[in-house]
Amino acid sequence: MQVLVVLAHPTAGSLNHAIADRACTALRTAGHDVHLLDLYALGFRAAMTADERAAYHTDEPIVDPLVREHAQLVRTAEALVFVYPTWWSSMPAILKGWLERVFVPGVGFQFNEAGKVRPALTHVRRLVGISTYGSPWPYVKVINDNGRRTIMRTIRINTGTFTRTHWLGLYAIDTATADDRERFLERVERRMRSL
Amino acid sequence: MKALVVYAHPNPSSLCAAARDRVTAGLAAAGHEIRLLDLYAEEFVPELSSWEREHHLDDPATKPEIARHAADLRWCDTLVLVYPTWYSAQPAIMKGWIDRVWVNGVAYELPADSNRIRPLLQHIRRIVVVTTHGSSKWVNAVQGEGGKRVAFRSLRVLCSPRCRTTWLALYGADTCSQERRSAFLERVEKKFRTLR
Repeated sequence: MQVLVVLAHPTAGSLNHAIADRACTALRTAGHDVHLLDLYALGFRAAMTADERAAYHTDEPIVDPLVREHAQLVRTAEALVFVYPTWWSSMPAILKGWLERVFVPGVGFQFNEAGKVRPALTHVRRLVGISTYGSPWPYVKVINDNGRRTIMRTIRINTGTFTRTHWLGLYAIDTATADDRERFLERVERRMRSL
Repeated sequence: MKALVVYAHPNPSSLCAAARDRVTAGLAAAGHEIRLLDLYAEEFVPELSSWEREHHLDDPATKPEIARHAADLRWCDTLVLVYPTWYSAQPAIMKGWIDRVWVNGVAYELPADSNRIRPLLQHIRRIVVVTTHGSSKWVNAVQGEGGKRVAFRSLRVLCSPRCRTTWLALYGADTCSQERRSAFLERVEKKFRTLR
């Protein structure tokens, strides 16, 4: 499978970077073709510009060459893997902005003649989210996991009917031990090998 | 009332811009104090940096670039967010404002060796969200209204325990008639004129 891994953490050497490394290695071992987008390392700009907003409902919604390159990677992907820390029950701004700017009409979804949203990600067969949380699991459940909802619902409804989803979360990382982290990395590795 | 209006839309002639003008008009008519924060106009940088991540528990006094935003949060008793709902939630520039400004020492304290944060914005007694959704109310309900939950749960828990919430949303904005748009703007202004 063509797998696109999208990583959104500002610090090289972070746990999220380690997760993305493990995931990519395991996916390659399993014979997949993997492309990693480290959004911070690429200097990706989160805010949709006025030009992009003006072009959004036209036939050419993409203005920026970097966004065009990423949109091409999305169009050929058979699996999407998101790796990010959950901040404010949601994804970091850089990843939210990546979705807004790259998953434009014709890439992330399409409009039909009546202006209704219809799927454009039917080539995506696996949708995976891997996230670290400062809060313990029950607190995340009470407040709601809005990043997870965005990926597992808003993006999911634009993929195919039979797309399978996987979610891997490490909770309460402020008090997680080195063992907890290592066990989580191993879980990520196992999951990605058998994707 | 002291209202902090945080606005995010790249297009100055958008429906959200019109809604923002109605918000401030309504608040001004009712004699409230207003501070307007236009994130696009001031070219707010939404990406939380590696340095900020490494120093996220430091005293906010060491972060001059967010000092004015932090002062605004400490000043207000009413928080108004005006934005278009994109991918179920706040646009990246507003999510970034939350990521970078609602930090330890401004919005909350994190006691050592704890996962439980202590709120610092208990003077905020009301959060109002004014937003437009391209898709229908039904589709947004299925998607889970992430933006509403970020505002009314994640942010609200750091405000007064009795903080009230008000949701003013236009659904189906991509396809709706001019009349519905006008009615929405009227509803927004009326709400802010009578906000207590």
